[in-house]
Amino acid sequence: MTAHVLPPAPPVQRPRVLVVGAAFAAAASFMVFVGLIGVYLTARADVISAGSAWLPKGVSIPLQQPNTMFITLIMTVFTMQWAVAAIAKNDRVNAYLALGLTLMLGIATIVMTTYLWHLMKLDVASGIQGVLIYTITGAHIVMLVLAMLFVALMGLRALGGQFTARQHDGITAAAVFWYAMVAVYALIWISIYVTK
Amino acid sequence: MALTDTRPESGTDASAVAPSVVPSPLTIFGTGDHKAVGTFYVLAALVFGIAGWIAATLASAHIIGSGSFLTETTGTQLLQTSKLGLILLVIVPLFLGLGTYVVPLQVGASTVAFPRAAAAAMWTWLLSSGVFIVASFIDGGLGGTRAKSVSLTLFALGGLIVALLLGTVCVLTTAITLRTPGMTLDRVPMFTFSMVVGGAIWLLTLPVLLANVLLIWVDHRYGGGTVFGAASSQFGQVAWITHEPQLYAFLVPGLGIVADIAATLTGARLGQRNLLLFAIGAFAVLSVGAWAQPAIYPNFSEDLVWQAMGLLTLLPLLMLLAGVAAAFKDGKPSLKSPLGLAVVSVVLTFLGVLAGALLVITPFELRTTNFFANGQYVLVIGAALTAAIAGIGYWGPKMTGGQLADGLGKLNVLVTLGGGVLGGISLCVLGFATRFSGLSGSHDTLVVVSAIGTALFAIGSLIAIGSLLSGARKGAPEAGDNPWGTGQTLEWACSSPPPTGNFGDLAVVRSPEPLLDEEA
Repeated sequence: MTAHVLPPAPPVQRPRVLVVGAAFAAAASFMVFVGLIGVYLTARADVISAGSAWLPKGVSIPLQQPNTMFITLIMTVFTMQWAVAAIAKNDRVNAYLALGLTLMLGIATIVMTTYLWHLMKLDVASGIQGVLIYTITGAHIVMLVLAMLFVALMGLRALGGQFTARQHDGITAAAVFWYAMVAVYALIWISIYVTK
Repeated sequence: MALTDTRPESGTDASAVAPSVVPSPLTIFGTGDHKAVGTFYVLAALVFGIAGWIAATLASAHIIGSGSFLTETTGTQLLQTSKLGLILLVIVPLFLGLGTYVVPLQVGASTVAFPRAAAAAMWTWLLSSGVFIVASFIDGGLGGTRAKSVSLTLFALGGLIVALLLGTVCVLTTAITLRTPGMTLDRVPMFTFSMVVGGAIWLLTLPVLLANVLLIWVDHRYGGGTVFGAASSQFGQVAWITHEPQLYAFLVPGLGIVADIAATLTGARLGQRNLLLFAIGAFAVLSVGAWAQPAIYPNFSEDLVWQAMGLLTLLPLLMLLAGVAAAFKDGKPSLKSPLGLAVVSVVLTFLGVLAGALLVITPFELRTTNFFANGQYVLVIGAALTAAIAGIGYWGPKMTGGQLADGLGKLNVLVTLGGGVLGGISLCVLGFATRFSGLSGSHDTLVVVSAIGTALFAIGSLIAIGSLLSGARKGAPEAGDNPWGTGQTLEWACSSPPPTGNFGDLAVVRSPEPLLDEEA
């Protein structure tokens, strides 16, 4: 062993491993939808430029349910941030309440999506429209379920006392992924539901 | 340990215990040790590499003369499967394996970030690779006629992409968050930096490939199978990863390996280091090709952006080559096989990117047939494979604890050079047949030469396995902490193989070459 020739190390900042990892995962998930929506917009432009209507005859996509889902998901941004702020103050009751509300609103979004699928009367085998719309909205439901599992897992860890005001990266990481999921829905809302 | 000063707490267990041995298949089940996971990635990818290059050879042999020994469908599927497989089953996992093993060591971390996720990614990749190969064999390759087999292939492709993305997230998070104090991002070793920028590009583009696969699968499985799922259009939707510029994204970590090897085996600090980092970053940025999908943008090759990217990619590569050449000039090159392999990789990379620059020039009419693009593919993938093999030779002593047989490495220098020149250039020459009619008569000869070249890469992969295992054989000379004697970065500060926890105490890093600082 050699002598201590180098200066002592300064205090190190706590590495936010889980938050950074969640941000990378969120970015990758976001890019899946960028790819899907890119194909959707190209296909729709091709159909419309050929003089046809985008949606097949007899198919209509109402705007009420997508708007309701969008508002619901915007509410979850606030409840999720409420959870982060509460755990940062060691206010566990508010953190549990906020996480629970977030999960409930997530379930409501899934229910509303399936109701919208029922209302649309669009067959997946009807052509390019069915494949694209069901793939994109279905993939979003998958991302929502993953985000809910992430939130629930972090909620359980919070219940187990693993997070404190100083160390609550798990909740923050779940929030990062959740916000990405909401941003993805915003993309879907504008591309599929509003500009149809 | 060469560095002994106190290392502050970094959020992970930094205690070092007895060195581990090279992982056996029995001990690797359930382990989250980044070294075992990385080694297994590398070995499995090399095995898949042998299969992939043999498939490419058979696909070439299929178009020789008129007496095809495969049916048209089988020949096409074999070519397509080998092209996808060499990227997703060989090149990306090879770099990911080296990254999982080496990046934590280079940044002074005790482990990879999310070790269990890294292990899960490796097993998912391995399982998906197996399913992909089996399904492809039973007429399930993209465009295959057995619907259930095609579904299985698509499912496996999805699994492969998700697994590779998860593994990339682990390596990237390690490089971003677990660096030892003082190691700013511009001080990380070149390989780690190239994994960061290359991995970031994978993270942004492979999900788009996943989107393509999802659409094909949904249409094939649940839709009418007439749009995305149509047999004739399936491969076309994912083929963009086998073309420039996206093809270059899979080469980026290789540039970092070459730079690290050049620095160590010439014994010189890399001059103009920030310029080299910029060059690697620019090369990575210019390789973003998810937008150039022929299936949704048929005229992308007429796009000025695509053509400019093809030409501009030469510039950062030339900057990097100048930096590596300067290391040769400033230092004393040691004639070891990793350096030879690094030089071969540089040569093939330059030829591949030069071919890409020629490909985008419309008056050359090189896009009329697929030969030139296929030749460029062989050059670029060959360059990436050679860089990975160079990395295995370079870090092999660290991985196994023993000196590798340098003779095998030197043999591989010749084999990979032959593979690239014969396999790639012959097809590029054939690409000029539309302009020079005399070349048409040489079709069979040039394809035979190309098939020999791709077969050489299969042999090169086999030799690389032998070379790596030679370090673990009984009686292999001990590698020691710093087997090259001129290591500059932190991986050479821990024992070979590294103990659990990798490092005990580490000093604050003050430059990109902390080991040279300590000697000074």
